[in-house]
Amino acid sequence: MIAELLFSVFAVLAIIGGLGLVLARHPMNGAICLVMTMISLAGLYSLLSAKLIFVLQLIVYAGAIMSLILFIIMFLNIRKEDLPKEEWRWAYYLGGIVVIAPVGLLMTKAVKALPGSEASIMGNGFGGVKEVGVVLFREWLLPFEIVSILLLVSLVGAVVLAGKRRVEQ
Amino acid sequence: MSNVDILLVILRVSFGAFVPLCFIAVLVWMERRGAGFFQDRSGPNRANIFGFRAAGLVQNLADAAKLIFKEDVVPGHIKHKFYFIFAPAIVFFTAVASFAVVPFADTLVIGDKSYVMQAIPTDVGILWFLALAGFAVYGIILAGWASTNKYGMLGGLRAAAQVISYEIPMGLALVSLLAVYGTVNLSEMAQFQGQLLFGFIPMWGVILQPLGLIIFVVAAFAEANRTPFDLAEGESELVAGFHVEYSAMKFAVFFMGEYVAMFTSSAIIVTLFFGGYQIPWLNTETLVVYAKPVAVVLMLLLPVLMYYFAGWIRKSNVSHYDRPNDPRRREAAVYIKILWGVVAIMELILLAILLSPSGGVATRIFVAELQIATFLLKTTLMCFVYVWVRWTLPRFRYDQLQKLGWQTLLPLSLLNIFITGAVVVAVS
Repeated sequence: MIAELLFSVFAVLAIIGGLGLVLARHPMNGAICLVMTMISLAGLYSLLSAKLIFVLQLIVYAGAIMSLILFIIMFLNIRKEDLPKEEWRWAYYLGGIVVIAPVGLLMTKAVKALPGSEASIMGNGFGGVKEVGVVLFREWLLPFEIVSILLLVSLVGAVVLAGKRRVEQ
Repeated sequence: MSNVDILLVILRVSFGAFVPLCFIAVLVWMERRGAGFFQDRSGPNRANIFGFRAAGLVQNLADAAKLIFKEDVVPGHIKHKFYFIFAPAIVFFTAVASFAVVPFADTLVIGDKSYVMQAIPTDVGILWFLALAGFAVYGIILAGWASTNKYGMLGGLRAAAQVISYEIPMGLALVSLLAVYGTVNLSEMAQFQGQLLFGFIPMWGVILQPLGLIIFVVAAFAEANRTPFDLAEGESELVAGFHVEYSAMKFAVFFMGEYVAMFTSSAIIVTLFFGGYQIPWLNTETLVVYAKPVAVVLMLLLPVLMYYFAGWIRKSNVSHYDRPNDPRRREAAVYIKILWGVVAIMELILLAILLSPSGGVATRIFVAELQIATFLLKTTLMCFVYVWVRWTLPRFRYDQLQKLGWQTLLPLSLLNIFITGAVVVAVS
């Protein structure tokens, strides 16, 4: 009962945050809305008893990445005058709705067609740090290492791109 | 849920919520007394109620009265009022909430049920602290940005850049610690530290991870934005940094948030490196068995300590010039009487423990109380280190601060991970 109530609260907050991100005029409002969505998603993960994903969502997405985005927005100090005029705003909204509506209908149909099964709480220890770690390093070691190399490549790429300008000067 | 369950939930949550708040008063007082002691200043020695200064604690009441009744100004040039008002609340809330996962006593066993003594009995432990430390940055960024003020902006930028860059060595220092303990759960970490190394050294984090302790403490000082890393509010350059536009209670909330953050990070340092609630050589099971001898020793020790403490009060609480009927001597006499009364009550409680059957619920609760007292004592000592550093060291320059973080602490913590990894693999 409480879990269902919490689920609805988090789901509604996540959707409001997403809408706010798209609709807000000022980038700071948009970023704060995105933070709200991230935190609500973390709440949904915790309802699924995925403890590690819950904390990682808070640390990595809601904490680190979003604070860097806020930092950049603060650095740029954007004012209302600096923002572009969006006269065709409503046309974009309409076009977006027309494009997305069929996909949304399809999704609701797909969800409704799912066989109704009893949702039960997973056993003790599911989604904890140790359990996820064991699965990650026993069964998914190679993909894990490949992803970390990918991250390293993007890191080196960012350093190269950022350093280039200085050499030309 | 039985009545005991509900009572313990209420007790644990209120401990997690109110102890950090009480420690604001203690820490502000300690800061002033510390400043007086280290820098040979007068300290809080004037504010009083009917001549009673309570060693300077009354000054806190005077401050609170001033801050509450001051006019709450929101400057007219501020456009984003919501963020301006919301920012101090974020700083304060994250500081209080991050204390919720710190265990303050060993798992309490009553009958056939056991209670994890944390405000939120979860096992994500230290990760929760890291998550909320990240959220505290939002408060600082929003405060600096919403102030629409050059000093506020620069202070906010400095604080945010500093906190973000010191989170990395802090996290890496934690990695090597997690490799040693093999868990992220703070309760299990504290239980691990109750063991003995080679049979006679307490297995505290400070002995297993000395380098990790240094890195973590430096990073924790930077995270709490305290001297020598308080460039965000360097008054010689930035007036007051990110809270330059804040007044009255909104400033007070920032101020209290800083002290709660200091208390919380002291509690985390104590739990990670100094055995948490563990009394050295006496783990929970030993304490339960030897509860009565411990109570007898305490009963004998308390009056002796109180005797010397009373002598110290009588010697130091005097006027520094000749006064007829020195009112401070009268003040000291009242304090000493009150403290003897407290000692008498504690003796009675200890006597009740002695008379109760051993190994029962009363013994368990007595052990938990001893551990809570130990935990609070250790945390207070760690807070004293914060005060000590603040009034002893000068401020860093900003480039020195970033160099220390990225060029010294980061490689050191990586080195620590490699050494720890090798040792852990070799030993296990």
